[in-house]
Amino acid sequence: MSRKTLLRGLIMVCLLGILVFTLTSCQTAEKTEQTQSPQPVITDTKAPSPSSITILIAEDPPSFNAMISDTGYDALVMELAMLGLTDIDPQGNIIPELAAELPSQENGGVILDEENGTMSVTWKMRNDVHWADGKPVTADDVIFTWNAIKNPDTGSWIPGIESIDSVDKVDDYSFTVQYNTIYPGYLMQFGGEQLVIWPAHYCNADQGFAAWDCGRKPLSDGPYILEEWEAGDHMTFVRNPTYYQAPKPNIDQVIVRTVPDASVRKTMIIKGDADVIMWTTEPIVHDLENEANVKISFSPQNRWVMRLFFNTAAKGTVDSAATPHPILSDVRVRQAIRLAIDVDTISKNIWFGYSKPVWTEFFRYPYACDIPRTLYDPQAATKLLEEAGWTDQNGDGVRECHGCKSAEEGYPMEMELITYSEYGEPLVLTQQLIGEMLGKVGMKLTLTVVEGSVLWADSASGGIEQTGNFDIDLYDDGYGGVDPTDFIWSYYSADAATPDYGWNVGRWMNEDFNSLLNEAYTLDEAHRKEVFCQMAKILDQEVPMLLMFSTINAEAYSARLEGVQSTVNDLVTWNVADWKIK
Amino acid sequence: MGQYVVRRLLQTLGMLLLLSILLFALVNLAPGGPLAGYGQSRHILPDRAEILKRQFGLDKPLTVQYLIWLVGNDWMRVDANGDGIIDGYGTRRGILRGDFGFSFRTRQPVLVEIRQRLWNTIYLMSVTLLVALGIAIPIGIISAARQYSLFDIVVTTFSFAGQAVPDFWLGLILILIFYGWLINPFTGEPLLPSGGMYSLESQLVVLDRIKHLILPVTTGALGWIAWYSRFMRSSMLDVIHQDYLRTARAKGANQRIVLFHHALRNALIPLVTLFALDLPYIFGGSVFIETIFAWPGMGRLYYQAATQRDYPLLIAILIIGAGLMILSNLLADLLYAYLDPRIRYS
Repeated sequence: MSRKTLLRGLIMVCLLGILVFTLTSCQTAEKTEQTQSPQPVITDTKAPSPSSITILIAEDPPSFNAMISDTGYDALVMELAMLGLTDIDPQGNIIPELAAELPSQENGGVILDEENGTMSVTWKMRNDVHWADGKPVTADDVIFTWNAIKNPDTGSWIPGIESIDSVDKVDDYSFTVQYNTIYPGYLMQFGGEQLVIWPAHYCNADQGFAAWDCGRKPLSDGPYILEEWEAGDHMTFVRNPTYYQAPKPNIDQVIVRTVPDASVRKTMIIKGDADVIMWTTEPIVHDLENEANVKISFSPQNRWVMRLFFNTAAKGTVDSAATPHPILSDVRVRQAIRLAIDVDTISKNIWFGYSKPVWTEFFRYPYACDIPRTLYDPQAATKLLEEAGWTDQNGDGVRECHGCKSAEEGYPMEMELITYSEYGEPLVLTQQLIGEMLGKVGMKLTLTVVEGSVLWADSASGGIEQTGNFDIDLYDDGYGGVDPTDFIWSYYSADAATPDYGWNVGRWMNEDFNSLLNEAYTLDEAHRKEVFCQMAKILDQEVPMLLMFSTINAEAYSARLEGVQSTVNDLVTWNVADWKIK
Repeated sequence: MGQYVVRRLLQTLGMLLLLSILLFALVNLAPGGPLAGYGQSRHILPDRAEILKRQFGLDKPLTVQYLIWLVGNDWMRVDANGDGIIDGYGTRRGILRGDFGFSFRTRQPVLVEIRQRLWNTIYLMSVTLLVALGIAIPIGIISAARQYSLFDIVVTTFSFAGQAVPDFWLGLILILIFYGWLINPFTGEPLLPSGGMYSLESQLVVLDRIKHLILPVTTGALGWIAWYSRFMRSSMLDVIHQDYLRTARAKGANQRIVLFHHALRNALIPLVTLFALDLPYIFGGSVFIETIFAWPGMGRLYYQAATQRDYPLLIAILIIGAGLMILSNLLADLLYAYLDPRIRYS
């Protein structure tokens, strides 16, 4: 074969290949995955003209099983197709979903054995909910889901799983959960933004909860059925005619599109090519607020609180008693840092005024505590630092230890402030502004930005926090749902200070606080709140972590839509069945 | 030549094995881990982390992890549930038997993840490469034939600019202009779509596909056009001053015959080998272009795997990419020898 022929042949093959690919892949929209959902039993009686909306997300959901990855994108699509026993509304009220009513001591659903410190909860389920193939959703499905979760080989984990001894069927629509402790969070254990009930007759238990095929090809009992999933591109959902709240959902079709770039998502909603942007950030909200065809829904509560984590153990160590941090182990220094940071200026200049000051963990319903706010006062900060033995005697603008609590004489007040990169520009600017503010009171901060996966990795993987290899960290965090107990335990309890055992990476130890934490595991809500507020006072005094402000939880949506409500307790699709097109 | 090919293929296998060890070690030893920042919460509680480590196989020493990755563990008895009791055989077959493991993020087999995205990338990048070549070659020829002319100067300037302009900036600007600002006068819709592979509601399928290709192909091709046109120009300049072309002109051949019949075929030889070296990009994709234009391809998949420390997926993409790079080098060498009879491998 001559060289000319070879070259011509190669070019023709390439061109032909592209043409064939383009034509054949276009004949039917290329579907990477076609759902296997069986045909629904009940005939759709809705009027023929289909209504459709488009939701934009930044990342393809890994699956419909939010319990496995909990990226948020999985929970968003899970809410479209699946139901749990309960859910939470934006105000923090728990609402029944598959449950017929919320079990309580008053209605006999919850029986306490105070002598042994145990309890049992009997759930009654609705009897009018069906899977898309017509089979009823029953207690068998709940027990199947529970058994799959607790399978030691292929299962997963839910909060409080160690508190459950057994889940026993009473009849087709009721079951009892036996607890080996008093577990206040029982109402959300089989619901919320992470856990739904899976169909026993459809999911393959042998594949395991973490990897079963039904996690990507779900059988719906929720408002929508997954019709098509083009990996990395889009998912198409159509209304579920067997949905128990018929004639809802009001919208026939929901398309979830993956568009990674935030500015492209913004442009699309302005142009009318999208109806909802999930998790709209402050800069985008600021740009969209004046657009006539776009509205913004803010969550009535906030979850994510920007905070400084102080390491009270020396950098590179994990025992604050044996090796206290030369600077941060002194509570006066931590209090001074709180006085030296102008949270309102940060909020106004960097977060467009959308963030709200937060100064205690217990700021949310139903456990909001009345803790007075410490206001910005750099003079008071200076005075406190001098009282703590930190003065600038050589005039270089950076304080040194002269009679301080834990450092050698002359030790400079220099530390590293670390934050993570994935959040983006607002967080990095916040870090810089904090560095400047603390610089004005004589602290020199070196600013470092790292990947989140390096900051939060376990100690074996060189995780910065778990190895104690930091002075101060900056990022946002907050608890989902309404119960802060597990979150507080993981951040403040003494047990959680052990590397890889929790997230008390500041190694803060307080016996009174730990005692109160144990008391919080009670069903007496009034007592719980009282305990939480006492804990709030200790945290306010000790400042193991400096809470500064909450970032928004918001979704931008098209003005043609009604009913969209952002919430920190769930994803925006929590009430998708109620949405309407005007 | 046959012996040369066999020798190179054997070398390739050896190199891939060494590369696999290096990549596996680098990925696992780099700071950070797949459990960090897991989920919406910044942290996961230790009980959950323990389950995930066991399911991901991260509770074993690195050498054992590599062995399982390479040859599987279905021949080994393992403790699947972490209770300290050996209770069955493993389920992995290893990459030597085609099992690249499962993605930590989606729990799907790695090859399924790759297959879902690979054709999208091949589609986009091959069109981009062909468009780039289709424009770059004539530009290079004309630039060489009219050296130092206005055309040559303008093209050279744009070539440098094209290589300097970042993909992500250009992509966003094109979206702003062609999607944000310009309107189709007949339909009132944006002139071109903002991204994606196709419109769900479009009935004109082929036209729709072409419209979705225009912006990402333009963004991706610009750098390649700049690169190839400069190379083509340089290659043509080497050839057109050769004595045999002077002879052709002396014998009465017109400029078109001299350029396209005599000069081009020899000037293309280095370009063909360069093209062979760029072939792996067809499979690897472009992170920036796929992100800006929401194209579900390998570039985005790789970036996601890297940032989320999805080790099996990341290592698979790196190994496959490395293998393709080695093979494309071999292809380039073979093509060069085939096209230029002066080249012989012993």
